[in-house]
Amino acid sequence: MFRHNFWYSLKILFRSRALIFWTFAFPLILGTFFYMAFRDIEKNEKLDVIDIAIVDNEEFKNKQDLVATFDELSKGNNKLFNISYVSLEHASTMLQNNEISGYLLVTDSENKIIVKENGVKQTIFKYVLEEIDTTKKIVNDIVTNSTLEFTHYENIYQDAIKLYNESEANIEDISTTNLSYTMIEFYTLIAMTCLYGGILGMTAINKCLANMSNVGKRVAVSALSKFKIVLSSLFASYIVQLVGLFLLLIFTIFVLKVDYGPHIFEVILLSVAGSLAGLSLGLMLGAVFKTKENTKIGLVLSFTMLGCFLSGMMGITMKYMVDKNVPIVNKLNPANMITDGFYSLYYYDTFNRFYFNIASLLIFAFLMILAAFISLRREKYDSI
Amino acid sequence: MKKIIEVKNLTKAYKKLTAVDDLSLEVYEGEILGLLGPNGSGKSTTINCILSLISFNKGDIKIFGKTIKPDSYDIKKDIGVIFQEVAVFEELTVYENIDYFCGLYIKDKEKRKTYVDDAINLVGLQEFVTFYPKQLSGGLLRRLNIACGIAHKPKLIFLDEPTVAVDPQSRNNILDGIKKLRDNGATIVYTTHYMEEVEILCDRIIILDKGKILASGTSDELKSLANIEEKVTVEVENLKESTITKIKEFKTVDEVEFTNNVLIVTYKKGKNNLVELIDFLKDEKVVYNKIFSERPTLNDVFLELTGKELRD
Repeated sequence: MFRHNFWYSLKILFRSRALIFWTFAFPLILGTFFYMAFRDIEKNEKLDVIDIAIVDNEEFKNKQDLVATFDELSKGNNKLFNISYVSLEHASTMLQNNEISGYLLVTDSENKIIVKENGVKQTIFKYVLEEIDTTKKIVNDIVTNSTLEFTHYENIYQDAIKLYNESEANIEDISTTNLSYTMIEFYTLIAMTCLYGGILGMTAINKCLANMSNVGKRVAVSALSKFKIVLSSLFASYIVQLVGLFLLLIFTIFVLKVDYGPHIFEVILLSVAGSLAGLSLGLMLGAVFKTKENTKIGLVLSFTMLGCFLSGMMGITMKYMVDKNVPIVNKLNPANMITDGFYSLYYYDTFNRFYFNIASLLIFAFLMILAAFISLRREKYDSI
Repeated sequence: MKKIIEVKNLTKAYKKLTAVDDLSLEVYEGEILGLLGPNGSGKSTTINCILSLISFNKGDIKIFGKTIKPDSYDIKKDIGVIFQEVAVFEELTVYENIDYFCGLYIKDKEKRKTYVDDAINLVGLQEFVTFYPKQLSGGLLRRLNIACGIAHKPKLIFLDEPTVAVDPQSRNNILDGIKKLRDNGATIVYTTHYMEEVEILCDRIIILDKGKILASGTSDELKSLANIEEKVTVEVENLKESTITKIKEFKTVDEVEFTNNVLIVTYKKGKNNLVELIDFLKDEKVVYNKIFSERPTLNDVFLELTGKELRD
């Protein structure tokens, strides 16, 4: 009879047009909108190569660290600068004519960047120069404090330059897998899809409650135990929820060409656990609160939206504020368990925190289902 | 006879309203018991209490000799319920709906298929098995509602106003189906506010009002409680006031009413009232189109007991 109710529940869910729309179509539509909206933001965020000039005087030529570094930064496909090595007068003219963002003038006493206005490109130019100076200072300190001979200084210097260049390269590599704004939005979409499974969970429980629907009355007087009915209906809802989730993933990967990076298995795993948590939340709210169906839907949506808000889905600052001031809230918040799981894939080298979030979601789901069954056990209504 | 249901001193009260007031009843094996009463008389509340769907303040309820609880699945497997409201899934066809609800009781697929077919034949839905509920008329929907409740061949069936808002053809079909269920050995509790239905169907009738039993017995036993013996209705073209006064002076006449060319004479007792009235009208040279006599109805009994009509 468990299987009987499961198959018919599946049939009912897949034939319910409203549920099909909200479970399957809505996330796809939202994903498409996200793609259309954020694709251009990502493009605009990519920096152009910065046109700069360096005054090609003797002081500059004598500073090998600067020569080597700027040479490296102006080579290859991912070069940062287009550099013109010119005289001071020419550099000044180029700046006046807006041909360059700024120019570097090296003197004996200082390395000076001359710009006409402040902006992102000028800031990056300044930042690079400061980084070169800082690195050189570190190397100098090591040499000064060591007993190494001067001949070794040249080796250390060369190694430092190499290390610096490599570290630049590393930063570039990491940035390709780092969490972009678009990715945050798509993870938010997945998390919200997981949690909106609460509506499916609530539908599953309403089908069995005599005070919620006429069908509920009929099911309540039947010979099949509530436990079996709820569990089999929940199982069917979970299948539907997972189908919706996988459709979303397939659509975003193959149609919208969203790159989930090297952690796609973990993304799926977290989504599967998150869906169960969302579903069980709806089940618990549907079972415990004795109120009308529309009020219950409102409760599930409000609870989900509040959880998403507190977990930083609508602005990451909120997550930090809650984590800092009332950490218990987000520790109990399934939305936070999902988003934290996604972020942990990108901000931590190990999967410890990721699996902690998976475990938290499963425990949360178990407790919600348990609360729902305790509430339903031997339930009688005051009126129906 | 074997008691199938035994209710003792059942009381169900809401904040300011006592929906069922110290009600006791028994239902015997193989009978159709009619619960007759106006809307709000406590019929559905009594059934919901018996089915352990709602809590009650006081009383003891036994079905098949056992106290029923929400998880008394061994008792529930022999009970079928047809609620007042249609309770089917819009997403399932006629056949699937019946099969789904039957499957909540019957595990064996082959047996279930036979049962579902029997239920479809009983309510006459053979031509509509692939239809979805929204494609059915109100009457067909009611028949589907009944099929879903009885497909598992229960020993005890509760029918809560199953013919509300049903066309005459479907009503007759439903009533015939209920008789067949009784003939097949089921015990039936039938609630309605249509007195004609209980008169046709029920072996015993309980009249309820304000949560209390006003009277119970067979249809004839209840009618004998009425203070009248006969009611004669005459359609006349014209009637003098003096003629009406003379009729009122008849020894056995209780009441005379004349409105819209219709004369209604109610008799307390007497055997040849109709003949006597016909002779009198002939002597008075009153021309009449139609004349007929009625025995008291259950509505008259209800009127007698409560001072109001059943359908008030």
